[in-house]
Amino acid sequence: MKNDKLKIGFYELTGCAGDCLLVTDCEMELIDIFNAVDIQSFAMVMSNNTDGELDLALVEGSVTTEKEIEELKDIRKRAKAVVAFGTCAVLGGVQARFIDPKEWEKNLKIVYGNTEFTHTKPVQSKPIDAFIDVDFYLPGCPVSKEQFLNFFTRILKGNPPEHYPNPVCVTCKYNENDCLLKKGELCLGPLTADGCGSICPNHNIPCNGCWGPVEGANVTSEFYLLKEKGFSVDEIKKKMANFSGTKITDYFQQLDKEPK
Amino acid sequence: MRIFKLKKEYLFPFLESISEGADLWAPTKKPEGKHSFQIIKDFSQIDLDYTRTILPPRKIFLPPSFNMFKATEKKYEADFSHVTEKIIFGLHPCDIHAILIMDQFYKHHYNDPYYIEARNNTLILGHSCWPDEHCLCKSAGTDIIEEGYDLFFSELEKEYLVWIGSSKGDDLIRRKPDFFDENITDKDIQKYIEWREEKDKAFSVSIDFKNMPDLMELKYQDPLWEKLGQACLACGSCSNVCPTCNCYNINDKPFLTENASHISRCWDACTLESYSEVAGGENFREARSLRLKLYYTHKLQAYISKYGKPACVGCGRCIETCPVDINIKTVAQSLDNETVDAFWDRFAKEVTK
Repeated sequence: MKNDKLKIGFYELTGCAGDCLLVTDCEMELIDIFNAVDIQSFAMVMSNNTDGELDLALVEGSVTTEKEIEELKDIRKRAKAVVAFGTCAVLGGVQARFIDPKEWEKNLKIVYGNTEFTHTKPVQSKPIDAFIDVDFYLPGCPVSKEQFLNFFTRILKGNPPEHYPNPVCVTCKYNENDCLLKKGELCLGPLTADGCGSICPNHNIPCNGCWGPVEGANVTSEFYLLKEKGFSVDEIKKKMANFSGTKITDYFQQLDKEPK
Repeated sequence: MRIFKLKKEYLFPFLESISEGADLWAPTKKPEGKHSFQIIKDFSQIDLDYTRTILPPRKIFLPPSFNMFKATEKKYEADFSHVTEKIIFGLHPCDIHAILIMDQFYKHHYNDPYYIEARNNTLILGHSCWPDEHCLCKSAGTDIIEEGYDLFFSELEKEYLVWIGSSKGDDLIRRKPDFFDENITDKDIQKYIEWREEKDKAFSVSIDFKNMPDLMELKYQDPLWEKLGQACLACGSCSNVCPTCNCYNINDKPFLTENASHISRCWDACTLESYSEVAGGENFREARSLRLKLYYTHKLQAYISKYGKPACVGCGRCIETCPVDINIKTVAQSLDNETVDAFWDRFAKEVTK
């Protein structure tokens, strides 16, 4: 029988594997997912993974070793389309929060001392699009089940994937949460891409920005607002950089240029 | 219009007797202190000591997201599962005015069946209120309500004056005729008048809505809009909490196995960046200042020229919600050349220092 199902691979670079785990957590849809496509590689759930041509590769995790750079380039060569799957792949994740390369080198030294790296050499954590072209981004820590299933279904039906252009505040308001930013908390909701269902503010915890910056985020205004509310520049930058990796640096450079 | 007296202790028994077979929605207090309209399972949940809920009552007619159709290759199947028998109790006059504006909007050029069906199956039971420092209903002319409700409960000391606003409202009263006393004394009337006078004095802010259409025109190119755009976080909250905002977006939600799709409808907000994006990725209102100008043109100018009243009912939700103080009060004050106490104004001074 000729197999005309889409050939798909799930790959994990450096991260917690939470995004791949989320796929396995789609319990009601799992059989349908596995029936609908031809999964060539998914190390978390199957053996006998193959490294052939792919229609779609979903890559989770950030790039932190030279070996991963090669692995990633090989995936790109084999796949017609590549998805940055989860915040680490999209932005570099928490492991990319030390924006300054000198800071990274210092920390590497603190953690590993004078260890000689024999297997592969570590590099400063970067999102996957620092090395390859990416066709679609699905941020999330982990990605949202709803967004993943919607993306997956649309690709399967030959439709373009849906974009999620709104900040967390939209869903947060739908959930009728009292605005934590207005109450004086360091909440990153207005700067952060939506998809989590405003899960932290639902529990009275300010948004940590784990989905990364939303398109068109007004970082400058929020920055000054938080300053006015009494937070230190260092505190604000640290929280903003936590999940946003290298992509927040542009914003910070913009801020630094502005008169104080 | 007939008016009755109802002893306070009869309120919940009365609500219980009329809400059989219907969802009773009423204001409830959230743990952090703000209020929200919720379906009542237990009468102790109801908290009438509230000024405004976070989301406006329009969420009860058209929830933030619902399915309009199931579309298959051959046909569309309309989905009206959001339409159920409902009673909303505890609505303040401003929110009832907002529902009247919704009615106008959804019935004006094109009858929106999703709204109209939900509306026709909902009874409106209003309740009197007391203003706080954000209430602008007196300025907007929405502090008193004469139509749009089935029953309205004006709270006096130990009883309610219950105003019957529709034949459906009259039917409700007839379910418990023993509860309602037709004998309204001069003393009751005096108490009501005193309450009205006290309430009138309790407003601390006012806006001259009459001036707004002209000022919007005169100040269409004013630097004010740039200042607002600079500070706006584009979170969409002002639209989402506004009881008269009605824009929506439509999305396909394809099924994984079946060759079918849900056509779903969700709230949209002109203050969000994606709102004015069209096919091909063009966005004709990419600047936040332009989006805010659209929002306030709708509230303070366009609606007034079309319907003779502002599309703002003065509920104060935007004032309570916007983290950077862009709201109907500060915008109107600024249009009127008044000084404002707002983050957006301080921010503009800070960054141009």
